[in-house]
Amino acid sequence: MEVLQGKDLAQAWTAGLRCLEHYRDTLNALNVYPVPDGDTGTNMLLTMKAGIERVAQVEGGGVAAVAAGLADGAFWEARGNSGVILSQFFKGLAQGLADKEVCAAADLTAALRAASDAAYRSVGNPVEGTMLTVIRCAAEALEQAGEKTAAADCLAHWQTALAAARSALDNTPELLPRLKEAGVVDAGGMGIVVILGGAYAHLTGPEGEQWDLGLPTAAGPVDPSQRTAAVESDFLDASTEGEWGYCTQFLIQGDGLDLEKVRADLAETAESLVIVGDERVIRVHIHIGDPGAALSYGVALGELSQIKIDNMNLQNQDWAAGHQAAQSGSSVSPSGPVSGLALVAVAPGDGLAQLFRDAGCAAVVSGGQTMNPSVAQLVNAAAAAGGREVILLPNNKNVAITAVQAAERENDAQQLYVIPTRTVAQGVAAALAFNAQLPAAANRQAMETAVAAVVSIEVTRAVRATTLDGVAVAEGDYMGLVEGDLAVVRDSPEAALLSALGGIDLSEDHIVTLYRGAEAAEETAAAAARSIEEKTPGIQVDLVYGGQPHYPYFAAVE
Amino acid sequence: MSIRIVTDSTADLPAALAQELNISVVPSNVVIDDVNYRDGIDLTPEEFYRRLIAGPRLPTTSQPSVGAFQAVYQGLLEQGHEIVSLHVSGKLSGTVNSATQAKAALDDPAIAVIDSNLASIALALVVVKAAQAARQSDSYQEVAEQVRRDLGQTGVFFFVDTLEYLQKGGRIGKAQAFVGSLLHVKPILTLQEGEVHPLERQRNRERAMRRIVELTGERGPVQQLAVAYSTEPTWADDLRGRLSDLLPAEQIITSRFGPAIGTYVGPGALGLAYTAAA
Repeated sequence: MEVLQGKDLAQAWTAGLRCLEHYRDTLNALNVYPVPDGDTGTNMLLTMKAGIERVAQVEGGGVAAVAAGLADGAFWEARGNSGVILSQFFKGLAQGLADKEVCAAADLTAALRAASDAAYRSVGNPVEGTMLTVIRCAAEALEQAGEKTAAADCLAHWQTALAAARSALDNTPELLPRLKEAGVVDAGGMGIVVILGGAYAHLTGPEGEQWDLGLPTAAGPVDPSQRTAAVESDFLDASTEGEWGYCTQFLIQGDGLDLEKVRADLAETAESLVIVGDERVIRVHIHIGDPGAALSYGVALGELSQIKIDNMNLQNQDWAAGHQAAQSGSSVSPSGPVSGLALVAVAPGDGLAQLFRDAGCAAVVSGGQTMNPSVAQLVNAAAAAGGREVILLPNNKNVAITAVQAAERENDAQQLYVIPTRTVAQGVAAALAFNAQLPAAANRQAMETAVAAVVSIEVTRAVRATTLDGVAVAEGDYMGLVEGDLAVVRDSPEAALLSALGGIDLSEDHIVTLYRGAEAAEETAAAAARSIEEKTPGIQVDLVYGGQPHYPYFAAVE
Repeated sequence: MSIRIVTDSTADLPAALAQELNISVVPSNVVIDDVNYRDGIDLTPEEFYRRLIAGPRLPTTSQPSVGAFQAVYQGLLEQGHEIVSLHVSGKLSGTVNSATQAKAALDDPAIAVIDSNLASIALALVVVKAAQAARQSDSYQEVAEQVRRDLGQTGVFFFVDTLEYLQKGGRIGKAQAFVGSLLHVKPILTLQEGEVHPLERQRNRERAMRRIVELTGERGPVQQLAVAYSTEPTWADDLRGRLSDLLPAEQIITSRFGPAIGTYVGPGALGLAYTAAA
């Protein structure tokens, strides 16, 4: 096969997606940290799936159109570190294939190089031994092969890239000691191999769903199906929440617009359609789960203006909150921004969501460690918050990169800033430092100062046995993480909490805030709070209900 | 002929200081359980805060009547004085309207009515400085001009135990954004353009106190300081003790939020007002 047509590429990537689906649980189980985590397999799958859905709408396009569709769809649904890197990989491919009708071997080489560069640029601090290495090795292998054979076959090229990716994957534990210690290869890297492998299988043979790529599986006695099921139900709760949730209106101005086609296209994903106009201007009013997709669709047809997006779910919540407050005789807390500056936070758990709202967040996205929200969810929340400027608190290290990608979207009407909070404890400190009356720059400074003054502690249960930083962890042990690093292992959440706090030189000047998770009983938590107070007389300990899953305690020391 | 300063009871000016500087204080009205009390005359702070905390309904306040101002102005004018009348922010109270109407009702024009855009001890600092200037001037217009020039030098930082009183009393202004935190926070507030304005949220009194001292220090050298409390005199002592780097202790005015201001700041409030050096 000398060149790939747009159709070939679309089908190959679709096969790659199916292969990814096949390997999803394997990828999910490849966790270095034995903590309940935002699963790599699920994150990559959902990211790519959105891209493929977009590709399906590209009919009869060349490879440039297919690659652009894939990149754009993936951009908005990107979630988690691996999802964001994957979306940037697709974006680089699309840049490399821009203006191409077909893809020759040399084009593939150039595209993979562009994809590798884009993937590296997407993370602030590239780490070798991860999916970045796998991507780069595949790109380099093509460049070397290209030098040897001037007119290489496209399929042979793909095989070369796949083999190089596979060998780079096997080598990841040599580059990253924590992979070696945990006895696994990099999950994101495996995702890349799986996607390339699935695509290759489609290009070379009849469709047979033969996805066995002979890849290593996770070490450790974990039952991936069980764990994925638990994570998945949380996750689905979070992602279906926004369905049909946004009242979206805009005006498309262009030449030769096809009103009927716009109606038909939008009807696939939207409800309550009111679409009127002629071939030069169309007014769109729809209710849709993902307004970003509708806007992307519109902007592909012409100039957009008069964009208005309202979150009907939030309006509903506001009404409910106001209703409850009225009943209890207290006043309604402000929900909308009082100025052009708004705050948006990501929070796991109902208690934390309420806390962030009360602290002044105009919108709260449900999510965290086990439920990584997508770029689109963050962008939609920012749109719903409504400020000309929005400060975003990701509150989790797996969400931070998604927030950065959300901030990089093109939108003249709203500027997004990210305070890269890695924990809920940092997020609350930042939220309390927020003052909508001050300019965004002053807020960012105050919030970053507040974040720097917090030590974060997280307590969670090990989902499998492993050895971490030389410490043996048994399944079911409670781990106390200080600033994200494993500090202590104990047999109860409270013991892990107190022991982790014990490593900090507490004085009466400190304030300890405990966020009680869904699994921690109120009385047990109160007893833990008392014992902190007894150990350090005069210290302030505030206990609040967070309701977060999987983490009996978050704690902040300020 | 000399110049006299008139203010209202929301200035929280200590009575001894008012007497010493010949400052006339027109009382606001505080209504508790349908009974009207004149701020600082019919109602002691102890009694007021007891009823504020325990009472079933929140007190309400109303500005002094036009007649109350007229009586005070008339008395001073008859003694041959000129008057500079300094009052609580017109965005917080209608007091300055009453004063303006009282002036209009009298034929004598030797009265300057000034909206300070301030309240409580910040207003008190401006009033004290005006009284001192009045002693060395023979023109009320000159004193009024100086007061207007100096107003921008004076400010206040305060924190409250709860924003509930400001909110229910309808004086919360832009600090509305700080209402409703599940975590117990001490909101630090200020007056900006005559309204309550949110500054930041601290997690306990110690940090809030530290911050208002820092914020005041950031204004540069000061020429005047005043502290005020609603229910906890020891907090005011503590705060005064932290200000020794800024001004000698004996020059710092200590006051208590009276009923008119107390209705809005509530129990457990602490304030620090300053006038920056010229």
